[in-house]
Amino acid sequence: MDDHRAVRTLYSGSSDLFNMNEATIEDTIPKDRPLIAPLAPMGVLRAEYENGNQVFVQQIDWLVNNGYKGIRRTRGDGDCFYRSLAFAYVERIMNSEDVDLNVMRAISTLEATPQMLLEVGFQELVFEDFLDIFKDLITRIVQPEPGRSRLTGRVLFDTFNNAEESNSIVMYLRLLTSAQIRLAPEDFAPFLFHPEIGEPMETVSFCENFVEAVGKEADHVQMTALTRALKINVNVAYLDGHARSDGVVTVDFVKFDNATEPEEPISLLYRPGHYDILDSKDQEDLTSLDPLW
Amino acid sequence: MAVSTRRLQKELTEITTAGTPCGITLLKADDFQTWFLTLEVLGESLYQGEVFALMFRFDSQYPISSPAVQFVNDETYQPPIHPHVYSNGHICASILGSEWSPVLSVIAVCITLQSMLASCKDKTRPPDNDRYVAHAPDNPKKTRFVYHDDEV
Repeated sequence: MDDHRAVRTLYSGSSDLFNMNEATIEDTIPKDRPLIAPLAPMGVLRAEYENGNQVFVQQIDWLVNNGYKGIRRTRGDGDCFYRSLAFAYVERIMNSEDVDLNVMRAISTLEATPQMLLEVGFQELVFEDFLDIFKDLITRIVQPEPGRSRLTGRVLFDTFNNAEESNSIVMYLRLLTSAQIRLAPEDFAPFLFHPEIGEPMETVSFCENFVEAVGKEADHVQMTALTRALKINVNVAYLDGHARSDGVVTVDFVKFDNATEPEEPISLLYRPGHYDILDSKDQEDLTSLDPLW
Repeated sequence: MAVSTRRLQKELTEITTAGTPCGITLLKADDFQTWFLTLEVLGESLYQGEVFALMFRFDSQYPISSPAVQFVNDETYQPPIHPHVYSNGHICASILGSEWSPVLSVIAVCITLQSMLASCKDKTRPPDNDRYVAHAPDNPKKTRFVYHDDEV
């Protein structure tokens, strides 16, 4: 057997007696928030900052005045960038004018990715189920399976709140991100730093510890790699609570432009340590339950 | 079919058709909840001639959620004496906790633990063994281990 997947960097140590027998690791993740929340008006976010940093409030107002009226929040479990991106990616295809073309384009991009994953040494059995779930969801936009409804906003919302399906899609995006970084080390190597201690890292250990591992947050490197692999444009609005030196409050966008055809970017909102989805709408109709569902 | 079942079925098929790496054998995999494998370090090591057994317990969110992995401690098998292995069989290894990734399969975990034993230079129990074992939960996933760089 080939053992590329085998020996991993192994960090070990002793149990922490202070914390022992307390909550499980899973319990530290806030379970009160849904994996993906319904779309909410920006006013909801604004209200949380009204008694705090006024620059945040002004930045939120700036976003609303520039057409970002709604926010869709994701659970702060370390997967929020990948989950936000995946949801917005499928939703945009679903709501696009030429749905057939965009579904076909997305599926053909995704069908080319297993080759990348195999090339960097992932076994097919560790990723094929995740990819199938992702592809099936996108295919359902145009081609419902027998007995299952066509993808609607409601179905998309429910799917992303089903832990198994939602996490499978997140995991595929993690592996794809890792493959992209491993396949172009010269593009990424100078930017691979340990997120906590700031030391430079080798490509493989960076990918194993901070891309492939469940619940590890994404930073600029991962975002560059994933938008490149999916061939999409993503704009990330940085809500940082800082005014410009001249006192004017705006919001900076970090742009990842990797689409091969001209297309509107997916918009995400970054607040230190967390990503959510920005939307030009401020509410949605989730009541339209399909009778087949 | 649940993702966990699909994935474990594939792992089992691979084990039965392609076989297991040297020093690792499948002892029991009658369902998709609990598997047992034996582990032995081949070549020169502090564990020459010793055979250990590993128990894997899978929950419904496997492989997104890590398996609970521990060395068996019964009449037939005893856990290895190693600075990261407690006498109740619990293992302190980051790949089973915060560094878990679904790219790791059951066999990949076995190989990693095999290499952890192979590289051991000091056959001792963890310094906090007695205190840990006295209070340890049944499932090692319920322990919050603090990981240090592996120097042993």
